[in-house]
This record gives sequence, structure tokens and C-alpha cells, in this order.
Amino acid sequence: MSTASETTRRRPRAGELAPFAILAAMVIAMALVPVFTDHKVRTANVYDVFQNFASYGLVALALGITMIAGEFDLSVSSVYLLGGMVAVLTGGSSPLLGILAALGAAIVVGVVQGGLIAGFRLNSMPVSLGGYLVVLGVTYILSNSKTVIYNDYNVGLRLDQPIAQVFSIRSLVSLGIFVVAAIVLRYVRVGRDIRAIGGDRRAARVAGVRVDRLLVGVFVVSALGAALPGALLSYSLATASPTNIGVDVLTFAATAALIGGVRLSGGKGGPFGIAAGVLSLSVLQEILAILNSPDYVSSLITGGLLVVVTIVWAPELMQWFQTTRPASMAADRSAA
Amino acid sequence: VSGPTAAAVGRFRLQGRTVRRYDIALGLWIAILAVVTIYGAATTQGFLTVSNMKAILTAAAFVGIIAVGLTVMVLSGNLFSLALGQTAAVSAMVFLSALRWGLLAAILLTLLLGLVIGAVQGFPVGAWGANPIIITIGAAGLMEGMAVWLSNGQSIVPPASETSWQHLAQPVLGLPAPVYVFLVLTVVLAVVMDRTRFGRQIYLLGENRAAARAAALPITLLTVGAFGIASLYTAASGILIGASSANASLLLTGSYTYDAIAAALVGGNAVTGGRGSIARTAAGAVFIAAISDMLLLRGYSTGGQILVRGVIVLVVVVLTNLRERSR
Repeated sequence: MSTASETTRRRPRAGELAPFAILAAMVIAMALVPVFTDHKVRTANVYDVFQNFASYGLVALALGITMIAGEFDLSVSSVYLLGGMVAVLTGGSSPLLGILAALGAAIVVGVVQGGLIAGFRLNSMPVSLGGYLVVLGVTYILSNSKTVIYNDYNVGLRLDQPIAQVFSIRSLVSLGIFVVAAIVLRYVRVGRDIRAIGGDRRAARVAGVRVDRLLVGVFVVSALGAALPGALLSYSLATASPTNIGVDVLTFAATAALIGGVRLSGGKGGPFGIAAGVLSLSVLQEILAILNSPDYVSSLITGGLLVVVTIVWAPELMQWFQTTRPASMAADRSAA
Repeated sequence: VSGPTAAAVGRFRLQGRTVRRYDIALGLWIAILAVVTIYGAATTQGFLTVSNMKAILTAAAFVGIIAVGLTVMVLSGNLFSLALGQTAAVSAMVFLSALRWGLLAAILLTLLLGLVIGAVQGFPVGAWGANPIIITIGAAGLMEGMAVWLSNGQSIVPPASETSWQHLAQPVLGLPAPVYVFLVLTVVLAVVMDRTRFGRQIYLLGENRAAARAAALPITLLTVGAFGIASLYTAASGILIGASSANASLLLTGSYTYDAIAAALVGGNAVTGGRGSIARTAAGAVFIAAISDMLLLRGYSTGGQILVRGVIVLVVVVLTNLRERSR
């Protein structure tokens, strides 16, 4: 309990508030759209933002948690497709059964990847690249390389039925999971342990954290976080396909998590920041949609943002400025 | 064998006892691969034919040129690039549309663009320690966006007046021209990595970044160079791919990224850098091309092909890691 009250009492640093400032800026930008252009912003646009949150938010959360633990999961984009495919193929009689099957498949993927990474102390990038290919291959095989139709359209309609005008079952499920994740990461021991293995793995191991077990758990959570929204989106679209529809899930999720204050070096960030990152990107995409801008603009902006945030969080950026500036100043001085 | 490779082999022998577990694993892997390959070659209809061998070599050339370039990046400790397929496709598009200024100008312009694209990605990684994988994912998105923007989403066809580019895809002495380009580019890069200071410094940087910093190596320049070479070679492959298809769009992105990574890994280069060689990757590229060809002839679906590549990557990553730990 003492740790809990310490965490709540600590004043947040400016860097931790950055994601919320970015979100506020995006919301203001969206509010200004009708002022500066002929396009109108409707309640439906806010609903769209939350629908986008429902489709990709949990992937960003899942990827964010692996990043907090100092790892990375390149396989989320194919696990997302696998989740949708398994749900559509097995959920014919009961959609809930389909979701459970998708989550079961995700657990298998997570245990295998996490087990390899923890058991052999492997770098998670190449392992999850192999995992990405294996899972994508399996998804193609399951679907016979075709788009599969889900016959019960009502399931999707019910999932996307507006609640209080701007929410839906799909988006409320995602928001709920974010709140649970935030509580767990902040107040339950496992949350502190995950930050510890991301911040300083050796110290965590010495301090008695069960690093290997935790790593497997993190990769299971990552796969679950990719498969669930994938399954829900497939019901919503009443189709599942082995190829990507729309935005690239991995690029979106990585950009959102990094905007949300998570760092690739691990140990930093949390679910509320990630939620702010996802909402910022979702609002941005909705603004582009309102302005009828072509798809490539979104691709350019997401790619550019990903590069920018990766550079901003680069571990040696500050060091570089500190070592470079005095040298150039010294050169200036000697020239003078 | 000389330079870092020789040193590695020497240490390998000295610690004979500790490498036993890896030796067994490696022996098993090679045995399995050999059995599967020989069985596959013997039982696949049309595999052991001259025309199919040519097809394999051509496919190996496209992937191999990208993969040997990528190897410099892997050796420098910067893992791999996830923008290779996009770089190849964009290069093919630029090459075909620049043909209006003549063949030589088109080749030079495309290679220069490839070099710049790679160098720009390498700079934040080398200077500031930005994550190479994420930077290349972002760069891939940027390239896709720009390609659609500049081409209006249309595929690029070469100008009707200019036909000299067709030589790039035609057979010379029985083998397609790209195969010779692959051979020459591989030898050149192998010499650069083995015999020059740049090559030795790349190995050192990949083996131990902290030591490289302590030794005052130009880390930023080396990283920019490693990314630049990977991207330059990918652009060279893009030129050949564009010339062979006579039509370029983002569809050419295909599976080049993953095939090239698989080729570099299957050759046995250490994923985390410092150990490996250009020749290993070239062999890996031929192997990956042969396996893909075999799967295609045996009627495997897209899914089966992707699955097999994934399994190969996973097994190789585990095996090379066992070796690193036994050192």
C-alpha cells in the first residue's frame, strides 16, 4: 500500500504530460476544422474516433506493455489477422465461442514466442519477426488464401450499435480493458515488476523478480491484445482476410505507444498515456477523413510521426546535443 | 578466410569443449536441411532441370543483392531493415520513369537515391541511438505514401523510345544478366568487408558498441555507411527487378523484405551483429530461393511458403544464439 500512495502522490513530470497535451492539441485542431474549412464536424465523427480506438487501441496497449518490459513484438499485425480469422471460422454458431477460440490461439502464439525469448534469452525482434511470418502463414492456410465471410451480420451490428451516441460495445470493451490495465500496472505488484524488467533486467532478476515467467506472460498479453480487437473487427465487418485491410496495425500501434510516452528502452510509460496516444492518432485520422484527404496522406503522416517520436525518445539524443554543442562553441570561440 | 572470420574460427577451436552443444544442434540442423533438400530435389517434378536451376539463380539474384547489402547492417549490430521491399519497389519505379533521360542517368539517379534513403535512416540510429527497426518501419510508411503521391497510384512503364534497359533482364552466356550482377556485387562487398578499415570497423561496432565508442570509432559515419550500403544494394536490385518486370508499382514490394532477412539469418550471421560474412548471406539467398522454388513447384499455397520461411527464421535465430552463448 505504501508504494501505491507514493506513486499517486508523486507529481508527474512534464514529459509524462506530453501525451495528454498532444491529445488536447489534436482535439482543438478537430474543433477548428469547421472554422477554417467548409467541412462540418458531427457527433458521428466523435463516434468514429472511438470506433478507431476500438479497432487498434488494444494493439497499442499490448505493444506498449511489451515495450515497457523492454521487449518488442513485431508479430502483432499478423496475430491481429489470425484473431479475426479464427473468430470468423469458429464462431458460426456462437460468436462468443469464436472469440474464445481466437484468444486461445493467441495464448499459444504468446507462450511459444515468450518461451523462446525467455528460455534462450533471445532478442525479441528477430523472434517475433519469425513469429509474424509463421502466424501469417497459418492465417493464409486457415483461410485458403481467401476472404472469409461471417454470415451473422447482426453480431456486427450489435457490437457497433451507438451507445450514448459516441460509444459502442466494441469501444467500451476496449476502454474498459485500458482502465483495468492501468489499475493493474499501477497498483498490483506485477505492474511494478514489468517496469523493473524493462528498466534494469539484471537488477530485477537479482531482486527476485521471476523474469522468465513474466516475459512469457507479457508476450501472451501482447498476443491477446492483438487477437481480441482483430476478432471484434472481423465480426463488425462480417469478414476476415489474411491480408491487411486499411492501416498497418503495427505502424499505428507503435506510433500510438511512442506518442503515449512509452520508450523502446523500457521501463517508462503506462496505459493512460498509451490511450492518449491512440486517441491522438485516431483524432488525426478522423480530421484527414473529414477533409477527404487521400489515403497516402495518412500513410505519410503516420510514417513521419513514427520516425519523429522514435528520434525524440532516442537514448543518446540528449547526450549528442550535450557533447556536440560545447565542441562547436569551443570552435566558435577559437575562431573568434 | 581472413580478418575477423579467421579470428572467430580460431576462438571457436580453442573453446572446443564449450561449443559442443552448439555443434550438435548445428550438425542436426544441417543434416535436416540436407535430407529435406535432397528428398525435395529428388521428388519434386521439374526441380532438377536446367531451366529450373536458372529460375532459382535469377530469383536468388534479386533477393541476394538485397540480402548481401543488408548483411552490412546486420554485422554493424543494427539488426535488420523492414523497409527493403519498399526501397526496391520505389527504386524500380524511379528507374523506369528516369529512363527518359537515358539508361546511364537512370541507373545513377536510382543508385544515388537508394544511397540517400539509407543514409537518412542511418543517421538518427548512429548519432542518437534511435531504434533501427522502428525507424525503418516509419521509413517504409513514408516511402509508400510518397510513391502513391508522386505516381498518382499508377504503375510506371518505361518510355517507348528507350529500349536499352531490356539488356538488364536478358540472358548473357546462358544465364540472366542479374545473376552476374549478383556475383560481382557480392565479391565487391566481400572484399570491402574483409580487406578495408571500414569493414573491420563495422565488425567491431557490431560486436561491441561501447568498445567501438571507447576506441573513438566514427559510429555515426559507420552506421550511415551500413544503412547506405544496404539501401544502395536494394536500389541496385530494384533496377534489375524493374527491368525484368518492365512495369513498376508498390506491388513489387512483395516478400523481398522477409526473404532478404531470412537469407541473411539462414547463412548463420549473428542477429545481434559482429559475426558473419557476406559469403554466408549469398549462400543463404540461394538456399532460400531454392526452397521457395521447390515449394512453388510442389504446389504449396502462399500460406505454406510464408510459414516455412517463418519456421526457418525461428530455428536459425535460436541456433545462432546457442553458438553466441557458447563462445
